[in-house]
Amino acid sequence: MFLTTLNPLQASIFSLLAIVSLVLAFVMLGSHWLQNYVFAFAAQSWLIACLSASVAFFGHYPELYAVAVLTALFRGLVLPYLLLGIVKKLNVKREIHTILQPSSSLVIGAIAVMFAFVVANHMNRDTSTAGRVVVLALTIMISMKLLGYLMLAVRDEAISQILGLLVLENGIFLGSQILVPGMPTLIEIVILFDLLVVVACFGVLVRFLLVHVGSTSSRQMNRLVG
Amino acid sequence: MPTDIVLQVLQVLCVLLLSPLLQGFILRVEERVQRSSGPSVVQPYRDLWKLLHKQLVIPESASWIFFCAPAVAFTAMLTVPILIPVLTDRPLPLSNMADILGGGLVLTLGSFAILLAGLDSGSPFGGIGSSRSVMLSILAEPTLILVLAGISLLAKAMLPFVVNHLLLQDISVYWSPAHLFLVLAFFALLLVETDRLPIHSSTHLEIYMIDEARILEYSGPLLAVLKWASMMKQFILYTIFCNVLTLPWGMSQIGGWFGQFGSVLALLLKFGLVALAVVVVETVQSRLRFFRYQEPLAAGFLFAVLAIVSNQLI
Repeated sequence: MFLTTLNPLQASIFSLLAIVSLVLAFVMLGSHWLQNYVFAFAAQSWLIACLSASVAFFGHYPELYAVAVLTALFRGLVLPYLLLGIVKKLNVKREIHTILQPSSSLVIGAIAVMFAFVVANHMNRDTSTAGRVVVLALTIMISMKLLGYLMLAVRDEAISQILGLLVLENGIFLGSQILVPGMPTLIEIVILFDLLVVVACFGVLVRFLLVHVGSTSSRQMNRLVG
Repeated sequence: MPTDIVLQVLQVLCVLLLSPLLQGFILRVEERVQRSSGPSVVQPYRDLWKLLHKQLVIPESASWIFFCAPAVAFTAMLTVPILIPVLTDRPLPLSNMADILGGGLVLTLGSFAILLAGLDSGSPFGGIGSSRSVMLSILAEPTLILVLAGISLLAKAMLPFVVNHLLLQDISVYWSPAHLFLVLAFFALLLVETDRLPIHSSTHLEIYMIDEARILEYSGPLLAVLKWASMMKQFILYTIFCNVLTLPWGMSQIGGWFGQFGSVLALLLKFGLVALAVVVVETVQSRLRFFRYQEPLAAGFLFAVLAIVSNQLI
């Protein structure tokens, strides 16, 4: 495992990239505007691509360079482009009827991060540099998953639900890059295409909903229609 | 030893003489970005020269504070360059007279004196400016204190020279999240404290004025001294941002004449880079309304807290 031979510079770079992506998840949580969600998601994906590339460089995993390029291309460019297209079609610029105000969802997000830290700290008894990076990666992975669930739960626009799903997935991907960088490349490529399919399906679904229901908010869709 | 004293005097002179140039550069580049030709880079020098030769008009209601404030502000700005690494990163004879917190105190003393002067003459604009700037400093102070606390936790010392040496020696500290979040937090402070958007307006209208409203009653040489003091404050904050936090490279290590000259050039280059970043912010950002002033400062506060938390974790 390459984490056992980590020097301080690598530890700082990994933790920097991981923490900044967590901050971007909070940007998504604290904003009203759909466009900001998409931009924050794109920036987060670019950071994760940088993380993959630096793991590839420091840990000598040449196949991770390909994963980094694919991540930057698909998550950083194609998915945001498709999502922006959907946002433009939707004519919804911001979440108006949120269940939670952004400020209170930020507070809940902070509590989720603390919970994730407690859980991650319980899993690790190692106090060396590698151990601390593992705790950090686990904390950020679990808290990004929790933040993704939170976004899925409290937002009702279709587009923010896709983004919640994507944040959740980004969290898992980020954690796996640091913790198990030797994961078979094929699996990572499959995940990438999975995401592409998810977004494409959502795009079709959103158009269908717009034509037949006239709204994409899950609040409007609480009746069974035959 | 004598060369060290000469060096210290040179540090003060450097801040005194180059600060209008920095202001001129920022104004010029800002205008160029907006596709107008803009004032010359040396325009602030000409303004100061003109004001120094004008007649002094004193309001009838002015008391002794009115005359003291410019002197106090100017002296405070002349004191701080002794404490911080401007040209050389070696500790100079008087540089451990005060730590970072002490330097912050002297800087704040200068603005406090101007604040009192704004209230002194009893004109409504002075009062408005003073009350606005007090509100801003109430919002900015927690961030400043947290940034300073973060720096001292990072370097285990409160002297700016030690922080500079640490960043030069250990590249892993430079790239650690604790340090880079401190840089972001300090950049937010830098925008607020040097009268830039998103809080301070770039147009000189009385309703938007914050810091300028405090000195509306001044004229002639006293106004020149106050303007010079505010340019020096900007230069000092840029110095702390570049030489202590962001770009610790390119400073004279031995203290020879050639090294001094090189570090002045490096200083101009570094300030140019930071000024360009500031110009980008000023161009893309519109002025925030009064009730959203806390947002950039809250972001800075958040980054400072994050820096301290990640410093404890990693």
